[in-house]
Amino acid sequence: MTTRSANNERPRAVHVAFIRASAEQVWNALTSEQLSPHYFFGRRLESDWKKGSRWTAYLPDNAGVDTIGEVIESDAPRRLEVTWHVQWLEEARKLGPALVTYEIEPAGEGIVKLRITEEMSPETPQKFRDGGREGWAAILSSLKSMLETGQALSIRMGPPK
Amino acid sequence: MSDDYEIPPDVVYITYIKTTPQRVWDALTRGEETQRYFFGFRIESEWRVGARWAFYGDEGVHDEGEVLECDPPRRLKLSWIAVGIEDARNLPPAFITYDIEPAGEAVKLTMTEHQPKPIPRKYIEGGKQGWAMILSSLKTLLETGQALDISMEPPQ
Repeated sequence: MTTRSANNERPRAVHVAFIRASAEQVWNALTSEQLSPHYFFGRRLESDWKKGSRWTAYLPDNAGVDTIGEVIESDAPRRLEVTWHVQWLEEARKLGPALVTYEIEPAGEGIVKLRITEEMSPETPQKFRDGGREGWAAILSSLKSMLETGQALSIRMGPPK
Repeated sequence: MSDDYEIPPDVVYITYIKTTPQRVWDALTRGEETQRYFFGFRIESEWRVGARWAFYGDEGVHDEGEVLECDPPRRLKLSWIAVGIEDARNLPPAFITYDIEPAGEAVKLTMTEHQPKPIPRKYIEGGKQGWAMILSSLKTLLETGQALDISMEPPQ
């Protein structure tokens, strides 16, 4: 869900899913080097996820770095806030980092709510906002399937056009 | 007009589901399915353009409207009034569109809520949370056979 905001504000997108899993399982999936390639278009994550640490997402098949950032806040298994600077698309690299926050809260017996908030740099073009919405929907859907059924989804998607 | 009213941006919720377009269509249009993931409401309609549709709960009709487009299993567009919520009853109808597309081994379901007229701000945030609950539960139902029992109240 993308909200248009005033000119000088950072555009903000919020993605929410309810997942039949524990908060720890969701946290683990979001930060795991082994699990991330299954739901994150093949990207492998690497970090110790401590405040102030760097994190990196690597492209599949050792094709280089997808995204880098810094861990701003890390409160397992509730809240993870990171800067998010896409490297693999030149146009996105020039825009500078976004801020991404994951919040995990209980939503019933064995169910959690995962809320992902993305604050983009003010000059982010519409195609990246739309592309981000599509991309996050695919990632979140696949993560949810993986945690609930043991199997992630295989969704193919190219960069925003 | 009061400052508390505004035309909200469209709410778009996209989810990918490992199933077939027909199963998604059935889940959206059959009462015995909707009552498992849509706050217990049973949907009823003849599902043709111009027909009325309604969501029935324990206390009667909760939501109703008209079928504006009906192209199974690809696209369904409804006008939508929450008649069961006292102060939402007189709001202008929203338009809800479901688009269903094949996406490899999965199906992409896009729900778009468009509100053409200004409405009180308090309904805007609540609506977003509601759709995330409903469509998360629908996905789980279709993939595992069991909907989510989310214990957060639907928007008031």
